Amino acid sequence: MVEEKKNFEGKFLEKISLAQAELELRSRQWEELSKKVKLSKTSWLLPGIFSPLNTKYPLPSRPSGYTVVASDGSQIFPDRHEALPCFLINIGSVILQYGIGGKAQLKSYPKFFYGDEDRLTTWDGRRIPADSAVISEKRAVMEFEEIIRLHEVCEDKDNVLALCDGTLIFWRLEGAPLDFKAEIMNSFLNVMDRLKTMKVPIAGYISYPGSIDIINALRVGLCPEEVSYCAQCPYTDLPELPCAPIQGVSDRVLFSRVLEPGERSCLFESSSRILELYGEHTIFFFYLNVGEEISRVEIPKWVAQDNSLLNLVHTLVFDQAKKGDGYPAALIEAHEQAVVKGKDRDFFYELVKEALVRSDFKVTLSRKGLSKRSPGI
Amino acid sequence: MRHVGEVVESSTRVFIARSQDVGESPSFGCFVKTVSKPVVYGLVYEILTESKEPGRKPNAYGMTMDELRREQPHIFELLKTEFHVLITAYAEGEKIRFSLPPLPPPIHTFVHECNNNEVERLTSEDFFLRTIISSANIPIDELLISSLRYAQDARKNDRDYIVRMGKSLARIFKDDYERLSSVLRRVV
Repeated sequence: MVEEKKNFEGKFLEKISLAQAELELRSRQWEELSKKVKLSKTSWLLPGIFSPLNTKYPLPSRPSGYTVVASDGSQIFPDRHEALPCFLINIGSVILQYGIGGKAQLKSYPKFFYGDEDRLTTWDGRRIPADSAVISEKRAVMEFEEIIRLHEVCEDKDNVLALCDGTLIFWRLEGAPLDFKAEIMNSFLNVMDRLKTMKVPIAGYISYPGSIDIINALRVGLCPEEVSYCAQCPYTDLPELPCAPIQGVSDRVLFSRVLEPGERSCLFESSSRILELYGEHTIFFFYLNVGEEISRVEIPKWVAQDNSLLNLVHTLVFDQAKKGDGYPAALIEAHEQAVVKGKDRDFFYELVKEALVRSDFKVTLSRKGLSKRSPGI
Repeated sequence: MRHVGEVVESSTRVFIARSQDVGESPSFGCFVKTVSKPVVYGLVYEILTESKEPGRKPNAYGMTMDELRREQPHIFELLKTEFHVLITAYAEGEKIRFSLPPLPPPIHTFVHECNNNEVERLTSEDFFLRTIISSANIPIDELLISSLRYAQDARKNDRDYIVRMGKSLARIFKDDYERLSSVLRRVV
């Protein structure tokens, strides 16, 4: 087993070195690669490339005072074994104002969904009770809407960064019916429009990213074909595909060999299908060495195209990660405000039940629900 | 007058109040009162600043207070300061009764510091000393010293008063001359 692990690690290190060599090589011919990537048809996500892939940007200077607004969410999903079909979304939100007169606001806003109006969602023309996937998307929208509210109430509107936990790409909506997709996207794009008007840069922060967009582009580079059409790959009879030697390496691992702490990569454009609906808010991203790890930072196009906003995102995200020991302090606190623990969940259903009983409603729990409450021996 | 705390735990003999701001509290040995019916009087005997969340511990950042306020302002939102109060008396109409109130002060009652006039009334007899001495789990001698100093300050250093209280302490401590002397030497 140990021998196997050693072999695997040795091979993986070779793969990383190969990926790094490819990055250097393709950076010299980046325009060619960019064209090839655009024309190719693969089953993987390929990034938009606009500069040599190994370009690094040093950490810009940080303004002495700045504000971060951040939100995160958590939920109690409906449970058919409980007394009432209902759910709860808790939005945690923070305003952290740094510099002279620094202050912080940490709050949470729970919202209870129980009536049909709240609980049912239009899904492919039908009204269905919200399931975990629907609730997760609703929660994501509420997190973004909270950002707008936070910006309205924050006192110092200079150098404000809006920070979200995770991706800005609603890729899970790709398979959703049009009506639900439209409902979520309209709310999200409305938030993005407002942020753009107010010139408040928003960034999605992904810790320990598993994405492989850049590796995928390098694999297209390795493909001997002039343009890669994976569906018609002529090399499937070979023991190993020409693009396979760097398969398994992530962008994070690759950029950990390239970026020094504080440095960011150049910008790439994501090509997720859902982004066709984003218009001017389509998502760009870069990798950032925050010291403790390589993270992925996603921003809308209008931030990517505005150098001062881009530099602000770069320096403030890095500063936030420094303050939070490798993960943005604002996101840590927003999460702490949002998190609903198992104990809270039990307490929540207890309250629901009590409220029903107080109003003389008959409360019926499933036998399974009851058995969980007081398991016998 | 601005309140200095809000009752968050209440029992027959002691209550705990949360300070308005982290790190701020009425001083140890200070007399406080609740804005409740009846008004309950007591002595601050413990002041504690700690994390609001049991699972989160403060870090050492290596920064001055000013730097922390500028660079880590949120940490002050994650801390709480609470002070514990030993109940010594309560009000019944105009009268002060030197015994435990019929009910402890309600939770969320505001707490104020007592003014000199009130301190004088609360310390006119030696009952507060007896309450301190008969209490468990409090720094008895230190609280005697601090509360006597407050009583003395409120009277603008009345020598006769301190002699009278010294005699009371001598009666209370009986033959423990060492302890009595240690307390009295630190009051004056």
